[in-house]
Amino acid sequence: MFKLVFKNLISHPIRSGITAVSVGVALFLICLLTSIVTTLQSGLEAASATRLVVMSSISLFVDIPLSYQERIAKVDGIKNIVKWQWFGGYYQDQKNFFAQFAVDPDRMFEVYPEVKVDEATKQKFLTQRNACIVGSQLAAEFPEWVETGKIPITGALFPHPSGAAWDFELAGVYRSEAANFDNRTLFFRWDLFEETLKGEGEAPGVGVYVMNVEPGADIERMRAEIEGMFENGPATVRCDTESEFTRQFISMLGDIPMFLSWIGAGVLVAILLGAINAMLMAGREQTHDVGILKALGFTDGAAFGLLITQSLILCVFGGVLGIALAAALEAPITLALGAQFPGFFIKDSTYLAAAAVSLVVGLAAGAVPAWTALRVNCVEALRAKGA
Amino acid sequence: MPEPMIRVRDLTKRYQRGGETLTVLNNLKLEMEEGRFYALMGPSGSGKTTLLNLVGGLDSPDSGELIVAGENLAELDNNDLARWRAANVGFVFQGFNLIGVLTARENVELPLKLTPLSAAQRRKQAETALQLVGLGDRMDHRPRQLSGGQEQRVAIARAIATDPKVILADEPTGDLDRKSAEQVLDLLVRLNREFKKTILMVTHDPAAAERAQSIVHLDKGQLGRIEHNQPAVAAK
Ligand SMILES: Nc1ncnc2c1ncn2[C@@H]1O[C@H](COP(=O)(O)OP(=O)(O)OP(=O)(O)O)[C@@H](O)[C@H]1O
Ligand SMILES: [Mg+2]
Repeated sequence: MFKLVFKNLISHPIRSGITAVSVGVALFLICLLTSIVTTLQSGLEAASATRLVVMSSISLFVDIPLSYQERIAKVDGIKNIVKWQWFGGYYQDQKNFFAQFAVDPDRMFEVYPEVKVDEATKQKFLTQRNACIVGSQLAAEFPEWVETGKIPITGALFPHPSGAAWDFELAGVYRSEAANFDNRTLFFRWDLFEETLKGEGEAPGVGVYVMNVEPGADIERMRAEIEGMFENGPATVRCDTESEFTRQFISMLGDIPMFLSWIGAGVLVAILLGAINAMLMAGREQTHDVGILKALGFTDGAAFGLLITQSLILCVFGGVLGIALAAALEAPITLALGAQFPGFFIKDSTYLAAAAVSLVVGLAAGAVPAWTALRVNCVEALRAKGA
Repeated sequence: MPEPMIRVRDLTKRYQRGGETLTVLNNLKLEMEEGRFYALMGPSGSGKTTLLNLVGGLDSPDSGELIVAGENLAELDNNDLARWRAANVGFVFQGFNLIGVLTARENVELPLKLTPLSAAQRRKQAETALQLVGLGDRMDHRPRQLSGGQEQRVAIARAIATDPKVILADEPTGDLDRKSAEQVLDLLVRLNREFKKTILMVTHDPAAAERAQSIVHLDKGQLGRIEHNQPAVAAK
């Protein structure tokens, strides 16, 4: 019986091939779209509810004064405070895009324990003024940095007073296992940043302050206190937990996750219709064979099995294809998505879901022809024209 | 007197067409002895195929009793009927009804999958059956690569592969030329004589009917006369 299933499938190599490949491509796309959404979500899930972020109440893109740091640090329950400033430079060419931030080197590792560096790197970053650390993904993209130890970054927002690029020296590579902290960023020291620009006149402002808090601290009280502290200017701020901050940051992407889900659903419906169509054709062609099988003494269940198995084989084969494609392309896709989607990865549960979807599509596509084969009267089936 | 192989009593079969009811078989009564070769003749539309399908359990009657190979078909559900068919009846159709994607050998092996035989035994039995019908050298051909006569002989090999008691043949020579038809008829006669198969063969061809031991006439849903030939003659 399996031989008959198999021979029916290969007797229409083009149709079978197209059906399996289209299921495969669709599942690949679904893996991809789902992973974009889950990558965003995992950043959100990993984001800490016990870290606080202070930003301008106007917009993330508006600076807040340097002088706030000391005052915030005094709030009861704050453990460490680190300031971040978006540098917005580029390496050699504008299209080599990645994020760079000026940060307080010493506090950085206190506030973000999930960022791992080796001791030598840490010491160099803490002691050498023009040192920087880069994420492992970024280091892999620009192997020359590790070779030469030099990273010249052109300051697009903050040009170096000399007119040349900022010359950073690589202290080492960091690795973050947390989904909310990507491995594609460069961090350099605030003191270098501030002092280099100070010669030009005005000291730079701060993008955000990030603080970790003492265990058991009353987050809501601290938020209220910090926001209240600067209520009368010079710049008003808002203070959120990191998870809330991340959620808002993601919501700046608007309804993209929802939109992606709709595309995924659309793709799913399209392949389902395609697979149903292919299986209906197969079912019609094999009606006569079903009549023969029943006359020979095969049961109605066997007739059902003949068609549902073909459908399942096609769709599961397609599913395996799509999952294999996604697994094989995960690394290149992560690279290609790089700056827009640092930390892109495909969850195991996404692969499992894709496998389940291929099974469901197989069952759904085979259901009607298989049920028809089960029900059809033997004499009528024999009257049907054979393939 | 031994129990007949096929016993039909008060058999009625109607079809609904549009608003009309067409009574194809009307209180038919018929008995067929084990090991005999019957030809069933009658005008087109007289219900020959209908009767054959009922006897073979492919279709169910509106009323009446059908006892075939010792089994009362009315008492079997769909699945039991299928199993009963697999064990007791071999079909040969006018249009051969081979499965196009399978080779001759695979077609013959197909009903054997419903038996407890091992794969090797199935293969051997299929080959034996194909050799019996003279197609030992065509086993790996697909139906499309065979002539009509050869196709019908594959179908006969398939019908006898499981060694059923009854062979039901619906115009088995209807699509064949004279020579191929003769070969098929020779085979059926041989199956009847050597292997004691009970055969019921529908035919329009009086020459074909002559090869059977008895000729049953069907007209307007009623059984006509039954002729008993001289015991069948194997050709040449
Ligand atoms: N499924 C069906 N629905 C309606 N009418 C049917 C059906 N099957 C057969 N009939 C009608 O029943 C009658 C008997 O058909 P049957 O096929 O048994 O005749 P037959 O004697 O085999 O004819 P032929 O020699 O042409 O094969 C015909 O009038 C046919 O049109
Ligand atoms: Mg007929």
